Amino acid sequence: MTMDPVLLAPLLAAAEGGAEGVSGGIYDTLIPLIPLLPMLGFLFTAAVGRRLGKRAHIVPVGLVIVSWLAAMVVVYAALTGQAPFGEHGHGVTLWRWIPAGADASTGFNVDVGLLVDNLTACLLIVVTTIGMLVHVYSIGYMAHDPGYWRFFAYLNLFMFSMLLLVMADNWLVVFVAWELVGLCSYLLIGFWYRKRSAALAAKKAFLVNRVGDVGFALGIMAIFVSLGTLDMRETFTRIGELPAATITLIALLLFCGAVGKSAQFPLHVWLPDAMEGPTPVSALIHAATMVNAGVYLVARANLIFSHAPEAMVVVAAIGIFTAILAASIAFTQTDIKRVLAYSTLSQLGYMFAALGVGAYVAAIFHLMTHGFFKGLLFLGSGSVIHAVHEEQDMRQMGGLSTKIRWTYATMLVGSLEIAGIPPLAGFFSKDEILGEAFKFGMYWVWIIGVIVAIMTAFYMFRLMGMTFWGSFRGPKAIWDKIHESPAVMVVPLVVLAVASALLGMFLGLPLGDSTIAHWLEPVFFESEELLGHTGAEYQLFGIDGVLILVSVTVAVLGMVAAWWLFGIRWLVFRRNPQPERVNAVAEANAVTRFLYRASLNKWWFDDLNHLLFIVIGGRVGAACWWFDRVVIDGTVNGIGGAVSGAGRALRQVQTGRVQNYALGIALGLLVMAGSYLIIVQR
Amino acid sequence: MSDSLVAYLILAGVLFSIGTFGFLARRNAISMLMSIELMVNSVNLAIIAFGAFTKELQNDASVIALMVMAVAAAEATVGLAIVIAIYRNRRTPLVDEYDAMRQ
Amino acid sequence: MPIPDTVPLLGIAWDDVLFIVLAAIVIVAGVLVVTMRDIIRCGLAMMVCFGALAGLYVMLGAPLVAAAQVIVYIGAISVLILFAIMLTQSKVAPVRLVFQTQAVPAAIAAVVLAIVIALAVSATEWPAVATRLWSTTNDVARVLFDDYLLAFEVVSVLLLAAVIGGIYLAKREGSSDS
Repeated sequence: MTMDPVLLAPLLAAAEGGAEGVSGGIYDTLIPLIPLLPMLGFLFTAAVGRRLGKRAHIVPVGLVIVSWLAAMVVVYAALTGQAPFGEHGHGVTLWRWIPAGADASTGFNVDVGLLVDNLTACLLIVVTTIGMLVHVYSIGYMAHDPGYWRFFAYLNLFMFSMLLLVMADNWLVVFVAWELVGLCSYLLIGFWYRKRSAALAAKKAFLVNRVGDVGFALGIMAIFVSLGTLDMRETFTRIGELPAATITLIALLLFCGAVGKSAQFPLHVWLPDAMEGPTPVSALIHAATMVNAGVYLVARANLIFSHAPEAMVVVAAIGIFTAILAASIAFTQTDIKRVLAYSTLSQLGYMFAALGVGAYVAAIFHLMTHGFFKGLLFLGSGSVIHAVHEEQDMRQMGGLSTKIRWTYATMLVGSLEIAGIPPLAGFFSKDEILGEAFKFGMYWVWIIGVIVAIMTAFYMFRLMGMTFWGSFRGPKAIWDKIHESPAVMVVPLVVLAVASALLGMFLGLPLGDSTIAHWLEPVFFESEELLGHTGAEYQLFGIDGVLILVSVTVAVLGMVAAWWLFGIRWLVFRRNPQPERVNAVAEANAVTRFLYRASLNKWWFDDLNHLLFIVIGGRVGAACWWFDRVVIDGTVNGIGGAVSGAGRALRQVQTGRVQNYALGIALGLLVMAGSYLIIVQR
Repeated sequence: MSDSLVAYLILAGVLFSIGTFGFLARRNAISMLMSIELMVNSVNLAIIAFGAFTKELQNDASVIALMVMAVAAAEATVGLAIVIAIYRNRRTPLVDEYDAMRQ
Repeated sequence: MPIPDTVPLLGIAWDDVLFIVLAAIVIVAGVLVVTMRDIIRCGLAMMVCFGALAGLYVMLGAPLVAAAQVIVYIGAISVLILFAIMLTQSKVAPVRLVFQTQAVPAAIAAVVLAIVIALAVSATEWPAVATRLWSTTNDVARVLFDDYLLAFEVVSVLLLAAVIGGIYLAKREGSSDS
């Protein structure tokens, strides 16, 4: 399957490669190794995992850890600009996949190659780190599951697909990895396949993804048709040649794929249902990695989008709309994982809004920080669920802060981050998004973003209040058995909490000239020039400072509102939860009652889809079936029937009696003679 | 009238159609054969009539008529033999009961 | 008294009268052949028809053929037919139906056929001589054994084949057949 990349090193000089066509040395081995190791893990575990029983995790987790190490080495080299990475990254062409056409300009030649530049490096950090931590966490979480080996096999396959996705340098390979990731999502959501709701959720996720993938495939085809190449870097270099309408079309089609994979409106319906999968799956796939694929795609294609301002407006609009839609639904959800799922939707909306206004660096920054703290929150919720013996309804929880201290502490850190309280990571990235939106003149994005920030803080601390503060509302038998999770599960939580807390400061400082901006500058600087976003100075005591104050204030407001309704017992703050107050707020007047009901019913989108596709679609299908049965089959059968009926009728002539035949002869003779006489004599 | 060729020919035609009717309408096989003999005789009459009114055909017509007669005799022989053979098998001389070729 | 040239009182030539009488006999006998119920009577009517035809042949100047007609048709074929009728008589009473169900269409066809032939014949310009010619036996024999010798021989072989075939077909199948 793979030729030794070191042997191909000389080819790199001529074919792909870094900016200078330099041979990559050790990196040419390391880069393909990063996705290869999880693939080997998958193959191994799929083949013999069943027989390994409780030890099935050793190979997959081990390989993922080694892959992480390799990735960290590569990332370090890439981000510090060492050779052969340089400014524009370094690529390794593995082999020619589709050789169809000798001529480079008219043929359809597809190479499988991997490219690591600064953007890929940032994604690699997120994917490999969170992937590794989730693998370790799963050792504890899935310990009692009979499908233990299957879980690790699928996780490894997912890691391979995701790594291939972020490292591919060719649209077709990205598409293959895109579909593979969707497949893994299906396999993992429906991991407990005997449970009907899980199977249905997996199917829903796959089908909704597929809808977006149609647009993505069309976009790739459009790229090939207009540019004649499927190589990413060549596409970006030459995109300026095309007419504006074509570029907008391509951008929108690519965005379709992103909408499906990253669960934006209107294809957001699959993500909450995807919580049927085990919690590590939710953490890895639906918080930290797979749903970021859409963001990565748009960020990678930033040059295409920068040439098409209309497409960017669409991206921003859909992004921010999803953000506020999801946040509103999160207000009333009672399943702890559902709240986090809607929170993911909302934060993804933020990222797309950032991409849409042209704040690419901010979007990627938020992607990284969100990956870490959402992963933390999901793993923490998994720990909570594990502690209360698989109960996911928050109404059955409460007062857990005294019993599961480590989980509580890490989840508190995560909640503060997502609310955007300095100096934690979420503050830096979220503030940068809002700040850039305001400064680029997209005030409507900024306003809605601020509202969403309030809502985010509110529902997260509602979650905290219902879960950890107040008193336990579940059965007493469970309360006595609550205990902290094993170390394999707590250690990843602590690692994530510390990492995410520090990540923000590491990446986001100094303000206005942050490390991450430096890292991503070579990737985005052309787009930023196109959009005219360069050159503004950072004014901490000017506009930027005001914006920071606004975001922090609204975050605190939301937090305090949640404390007021749902209770708090932290530091010096003490208040008991007030369920009657909550009801009073919900029932205050007709508007709030409607909003409450709308939020509870997820704004009736699932019902709308059901009506459109299942009811109406079903009717259309039934009508088509009727048509096929009655008209088409009827016609065909009717012709057959007519023929056999005619045959039956004509058979009467064959009486078997000679005299009847003779009469026929006589009549024929008469007719012929008579007509001859008449016609000829005329 | 006896000197007009047309009269003899019309007579032959009428005899022929009588024979046709008998052939198509009678049920007994022997009756059908008798009708066939009538038809052959009408043809003979027509031939002789042509011979009587055409100088070149004067003698040839008689020869042709003799040949026709011989052939008709042979045909009647074989036909009757067949009818007898079928009668032995089917026990009936009625042709509308010979329908083994029916679909 | 000398024979009058034409029939007294009617003024028709004797030949014409003869023709009319013979033609009438032919047609009536023919109709009887095809319409009578009793087959034996049909056979007898056929004999009468053949006899009248022989007379017509004499009128048309072919005495040899007339003689052959009497000897062959009346003397041999009709007898053969009567024998065959005798051999195929069924013991039951005369059949209910003389005619088939298709008798009416057959009658119509026959009538139309006669009309068509009559029309066609009368509309044609025949290159005919004014009076009937008479052919002698000498001339006929000369033509028969000179120009038509091959046909003569072939016909004799045909008759042989017909006789053999007839004997074979009508033979009883083995002596064990009851």
